[in-house]
Amino acid sequence: MQHRSLHSITSKLIHRTLAWVMLCVLGFGAVQAWRTYHAIEKDFQLAVLAAAETHVPLISLAIWDIELQAIERQIKLLLQNPRIGYVSVRASTGQHFEGGQAGITSRSAPLKYDIPRPGKTPGSIGSLEITANDDALYQEILHSAGVVLLQCLLLTALILGMVVAILRRDLERPMRRLSAFVTSLQADNLDAPLALERPPGHVRDELDQMAEGFATLQARIHSHIALLDAQVLNRTRQLEQALSSLKIQSALDVLTGCFNRMLFNERFPAEMIRAQRYGRPLSVIFCDLDHFKTVNDTHGHLTGDRILSAMGACLRRELRTDIDWVTRYGGEEFVVVMPETPLAAACDIAERLRRDVMELVTAPLGDAPPLHVSASFGVAQQRSGESMEALVQRADEWLYAAKAGGRNQVQPALPAERLQALIEKRIEAPPKPPLNARMEPGAERVAAPL
Amino acid sequence: MLNFGRHCRCTALLLGMAVGMIFWAGPLSAMTVAFINPGKSDEVYWMTAARAMEAAARSLDIKLEVLYAERDHLRQVAFAQQLAARPPGQRPAYVIMSNDYAIGHELLRILDAAGIKTFFAFSNITEPRERSETRGPRERYRNWLGSLEPKAEEAGYLTARALIEQGRRAGAAARGADGKLHLIALAGDRSTTSSILRNDGMRRAVAEAPDVVLDQQVFAAWNRDKGAEQSAWLYQRHPAARLVWAGNDLMAFGAMKSWEQRVDSSGTGGKPGQDAWFSGINTSKEAMEAVQSGRLTALAGGHFIAGAWALVMLHDYDRGRDFAPDGMELQHSMFMLFSPADAARFQTRFGDLKFDHVDFRRFSKVLNPQIKMYDFNFRQLMQ
Repeated sequence: MQHRSLHSITSKLIHRTLAWVMLCVLGFGAVQAWRTYHAIEKDFQLAVLAAAETHVPLISLAIWDIELQAIERQIKLLLQNPRIGYVSVRASTGQHFEGGQAGITSRSAPLKYDIPRPGKTPGSIGSLEITANDDALYQEILHSAGVVLLQCLLLTALILGMVVAILRRDLERPMRRLSAFVTSLQADNLDAPLALERPPGHVRDELDQMAEGFATLQARIHSHIALLDAQVLNRTRQLEQALSSLKIQSALDVLTGCFNRMLFNERFPAEMIRAQRYGRPLSVIFCDLDHFKTVNDTHGHLTGDRILSAMGACLRRELRTDIDWVTRYGGEEFVVVMPETPLAAACDIAERLRRDVMELVTAPLGDAPPLHVSASFGVAQQRSGESMEALVQRADEWLYAAKAGGRNQVQPALPAERLQALIEKRIEAPPKPPLNARMEPGAERVAAPL
Repeated sequence: MLNFGRHCRCTALLLGMAVGMIFWAGPLSAMTVAFINPGKSDEVYWMTAARAMEAAARSLDIKLEVLYAERDHLRQVAFAQQLAARPPGQRPAYVIMSNDYAIGHELLRILDAAGIKTFFAFSNITEPRERSETRGPRERYRNWLGSLEPKAEEAGYLTARALIEQGRRAGAAARGADGKLHLIALAGDRSTTSSILRNDGMRRAVAEAPDVVLDQQVFAAWNRDKGAEQSAWLYQRHPAARLVWAGNDLMAFGAMKSWEQRVDSSGTGGKPGQDAWFSGINTSKEAMEAVQSGRLTALAGGHFIAGAWALVMLHDYDRGRDFAPDGMELQHSMFMLFSPADAARFQTRFGDLKFDHVDFRRFSKVLNPQIKMYDFNFRQLMQ
C-alpha cells in the first residue's frame, strides 16, 4: 500500500477545475477584449465628437475675441482627454495653435471641424483638427481585459480555495481516517467503532452514510461470527456426547451393562496407582455364578443371558455408584473394584451382594416358577507394591476357596464379631489361610488403613 | 481804500492766524490725509496722480501720506488695517481710496469702524448689489464722506469723435468698399467701470455717425503686446478698417506697431497717422510725443487730477465748508482732448511730473468764497 503512489481526489479535482477555468478565463478575456475594443472605439468617437461639439463654440469665441490664452486653454482642456493625442487650431487669418504630440499617427483619420463665426453672421473663422491617441485606446483595452481577467482569476482562486477547504474537511480527512481505520481493522477487534470526527454542527452526508453502513456491516459480521461460534459449540458438544456415548459403549458389556474387560485393563492399574500414592485402601471382589453351565444347558442360552443381565443389573444397583465399579471379567465372572474400601468392608459388601443375588437374580421360566441362582465371592485388599495380576489372582484364589467351600459364600469369611469390629474399625482383619494350597497363608495380611 | 482793505484783510488774517495758533495750533498745521494708491509706484498714471496730489497737499498745507498697493488688492486691505491699528494721535484724519478691484466696501468697513473719515476718488462703489449693502455716503458708514469720479464715458466719446472726424477728412482712402468708415476697438477689460464707460462713449460717438461701422471690439487687457497681437488679427479679419480706437495709450501703441509691421500688397508696412488713424487715452510722455508727431490722432487725458481735486474738497470740508450741497457723489468732466499744441504745452508744464507751479488754493471754496461750484476740468491747469 505504501509503495503505490497516492493521488488525492481533491488535488485531481482542483487540477482539472483549474485547467478548465484557465481555458474559460482566456476565452472570456479574449471575447471581452474584442468587445471592449469595439465599445471603446465607438465610445471614443462619441467622446471626441462631444468634446469637439463642446469646445468648438468656445474656440470660436476665443478666436473671434482674439483671446490667445483662451484658445490655448481650450486646446489644453481637449488634451486632458487621454484619448486625444494631438489638437490643431488654425485661424483663417493664418495663425496656428497646436497641442499634444505633433506628428502622432492614428488608425482612424483625424477629425476635422470647421469653426464658425460666433453670432448669427455666417462664415468660417478657422478649423479644428483632432487626432486620436491610439496608445490610450490600446491601454484602455488592455486595462479593461486585464480587469476582467483579474476578476475571473480572483473569483476562481476564491472558489477553488473554498472547494479545497470543504473537500479537505468534509472528504479528504474523513476518507483518510476511514482508510486508516480499515487498514488497522483486526480479526479480533472487528467491532471497534469507526469515528470520523466530523466538525461540530456538521450535517449528515454520504460519508456518514458510509460510516453507518460500515457499522451495520460490522454488526452483521459480528452476529454472524457469534452464530458460527454457537454452532461450533453446539456441534462440538454433540460430537463430545457422541464420542462419550461411543466411549461408554465401547467400555460396556452389552449384555450385562457392566464394564468390559478392556476397560478393566485400562482403568484398574490407574485405580491401583492412585490408592497406592495416597495410601488409601483398595479391595476387589471376584464373583462367579454357581453352576451357570448347567443353567445354559438346562434352560437354554436365552435364559442364561437373562440371568447374566439380571446379575449385572443387581451388582450395579447395589454398589456405590460414584466410586465402585463392576466389570464382566469373562463368561459368568464379575470383578467389583472398590476404592477407599478395606477388606472387612469389602467382605461385608460381598456378603450383602451374595444375599441380593440369591433373592433378586432370577429368570422367568414360562409357567414354572422363575429360576433363582447363587454366586460365590472372593475378596482381596491391595497390598503395598502388589501388581494388578497378583491382586486379581489373590481374589480369584479366595473365590476358588468359596467354590471349594460349597459355593454361595464369601471368602475370606470372617466371624460376625470380627466383621463388626472391622466395620467399627477397632481391629485388623485376620489373615485367613486359603484352603487352596496355591495360596500362601502368610501372604494374606491386610493392614488396617485407619 | 484798496490798500486799507488789503491792510484790514491782512490784519484780520494775521489775527486769525494768531488766534488759530493759540487755539488750533495742532489741528491747523496737521490736517492729515492718507491715500491708498491701488497702482504701482512706477506706473505712470498712478504715479502722476500721486505727484499731483502731493503738489496739491503742499499747496493746501495738508500732510499727505501715499501708500502704494502695487496692484495687489489684499495689500489695500492690509493698509487699511494698518491705518486703523495706529494709535489715535498717529491715525490720518482722512483716507482717500479708489474702488479698484471692488475692494471699496471692505476698506469702508475697516476704516469706518476706526473712526477715520473716508473719500473715494477715481472710482466709486457703483455695483448695485454692493450698493444695497453699503448704501450712500454718511448713511450706514457715517464717516464715508463722498466720492469724486472723472466722467470716463467722456474720454471714450471725445477720442472716438476726434478719430471719426479725422477719418472723414482723409477722404476715400479711409473708407471701405461700402463707402463707410470702418472702426475697430481695443477695449481694456470686460468688468472695470471706467473700461465699460469709455467703451460706451466710443459707441455713442459711432452711433452718432451714420457713415461709421464698428467692425469689432476686442479686449486687450490694457496691454501693449496684446493690443499688437489682437490688432494684427483684426487687420486681416477686417481689411477695410482704418480707424483704431483704444481704451488707453498702451493698446494704441501696440496696434500702431502691428500696423507698421503689416505688409500690404505694396510690400511696405503701414504708416499710422497717414494710412490708418489711432486714438488713445492717458497723458504719458510717449502719448504726448505721438500726438505731436501725428502718429496718434486723438488723445484724451487729465483725469489723474481727480485725487488732487479730492484733496481740495476735503480741505474745504475740514475747514467747515461741506461739499454736500453740490452732491456727495460727484462726477466731473476732467478729460481734455490733446491737440499737438496741447501736448507740447503739457510736456512743457508737466513733462517732469511736477505740479508745484499749480496753485491749488485758487480752486478752494474756503479760500475763494466767490466760487459757488467746483470746476475740475483739466484744461484750466494748462493755462
